[in-house]
Amino acid sequence: MPTASLVCEGFRGQAATTASGLGLPGLPTALVPGHVDVQSPEELRRNVASVTADEVIRNLTEAPARASGAVVEPAAGAVVFEGSFDEVNRFFYENDWSDGLPIVPPTAERVAEFLRFTDRPGEASLGVLLPDQRRATVWNVAVNGVMAGCRPEYMPILVALAEAMADPRYGVEHSGNTPGAETLIILNGPLIKELGFNYEQGAMRDGVQANTTIGRFWRLYLRNVAGFLHHRTDKATFGNTWRVVLAENEETLRRIGWTSVAEDEGVPGGSAVTISRYTGGGVIASVLGTTAEQMLPYLADSVVRKIGWELMFTVGMGVGSQRPLLLLSPILAETLARGGLDKAALKRRLFELARMPAWQFERYIGDWTNLVPGRPSLASLVKAGQIPAVFAESQDPARLVPVVCRAEDFMIAVSGDPLRTNAYAFAHNGILGYPTTKPVRLPAEWPRLLRAARGR
Amino acid sequence: MIGPDGREIYRVVWPRGARTVQATDVAPRLSTLEGKTIGQLWDDLFRGDEIFPMLEEELASRFPGVRFVRYDTFGSTHGRDEQRVLAELPAKLKALGVDAVISGMAC
Repeated sequence: MPTASLVCEGFRGQAATTASGLGLPGLPTALVPGHVDVQSPEELRRNVASVTADEVIRNLTEAPARASGAVVEPAAGAVVFEGSFDEVNRFFYENDWSDGLPIVPPTAERVAEFLRFTDRPGEASLGVLLPDQRRATVWNVAVNGVMAGCRPEYMPILVALAEAMADPRYGVEHSGNTPGAETLIILNGPLIKELGFNYEQGAMRDGVQANTTIGRFWRLYLRNVAGFLHHRTDKATFGNTWRVVLAENEETLRRIGWTSVAEDEGVPGGSAVTISRYTGGGVIASVLGTTAEQMLPYLADSVVRKIGWELMFTVGMGVGSQRPLLLLSPILAETLARGGLDKAALKRRLFELARMPAWQFERYIGDWTNLVPGRPSLASLVKAGQIPAVFAESQDPARLVPVVCRAEDFMIAVSGDPLRTNAYAFAHNGILGYPTTKPVRLPAEWPRLLRAARGR
Repeated sequence: MIGPDGREIYRVVWPRGARTVQATDVAPRLSTLEGKTIGQLWDDLFRGDEIFPMLEEELASRFPGVRFVRYDTFGSTHGRDEQRVLAELPAKLKALGVDAVISGMAC
């Protein structure tokens, strides 16, 4: 069926690249000049009438150029270059296969070392990744793992990450959206200790090989297999560099009787990775108090202050998909637990305390952005049955309303310096990177392989 | 492998994955919009609720017989119901006699 896709000026490159990924390289688009959000109704009307309408008519009535012949690409395992370390790095960088840091040259021999740490064959499919619609395989996971500087024994985690990336629930296709959110990988289970992850002081800082290189792998895989590239499919307005893996402090969790993030997300036992995209966050320094009730107001206030436009994921597009993450240092978690709070109870208290005036909430979703169509009031959304009644318990504009739909939408993790009273709050990107947890499957001979790897 | 100048030479493999779709041509275009039915698809973002009526007005002034099926007939193409909306689309477009589609907003 003939189509015309309305594309603002800054998105024509992304539209062309995405159309190619979908197998429709000739897909016509109709230009909407500039960015619509800064145009008066009169300007917008003038642009639509003088530019967009003409392009729509052409899109629907004139045959676009035929798709050029299929590009022949290398087969998996094909040697694409021979050269020195510097030459390989230049070749990969020039082909957009590198992030700009030196890569470890992915030779077949190094890839084979990684493949020893999985029972699955190299050609095994882990899914198909948008926007390039390329197949994720055990082989190309290993190649990108080598490039990132991972050790071969990280391979089971890398495979689980690729599976999570391919899960439609996560929504990898949104990874190039303009707010430029970045994925956080949370690791749980015995692999934290077996592979030497940092889960104490500086838990989110680069400098520990397992945490750092697996974080880098994530973005290399987004680049090379999903197909996210600057100026094309990655439209982050600012963006930031990849995050290192966050490993939970499971000794503390066990001591205070709290569940892990993976358990909270329904994957108990063994090791597991949880991925989720966060728009940003910040530290909550020097939380003061000897009891949970003394600490909770500050923690809740900080969670609220990290969330603004992201409220569109609470009540608008993807209603109920806002999943803020509160990261607690062990000493804070222990103090909260000593006050009788388990994770579920802590989430309930956050739901009660992490609130903002309804007028302010409506300003984020209606006055300051147009991300929720029609600029509805919270009361009208409740009346329409689209959001819970808690958002309109009175007509008072100053009434306090939550920032999530349900207490269990909060996520809680424990890591970082055991003896600092600091926390960290992350605002979440809703359905555009929804929390997704996958178990890490180990090869049958894992203990022997790991022993051998430690000796290298 | 060591090269003639004594430097190590690396034979490196491709880091990407095979594409799973073949490039195809887009559907044949219409000869005119006169007398045709155009479906509107909206992702609930970036002023589509203003832009679609403007487009309707402009296209109707040039093709008086053109007819439109509004975006709210189909549901949002972006968001929590996206997969369902897209899955239902072929049957809905057929049932409504839609000849062509305008989809927005990419912004």
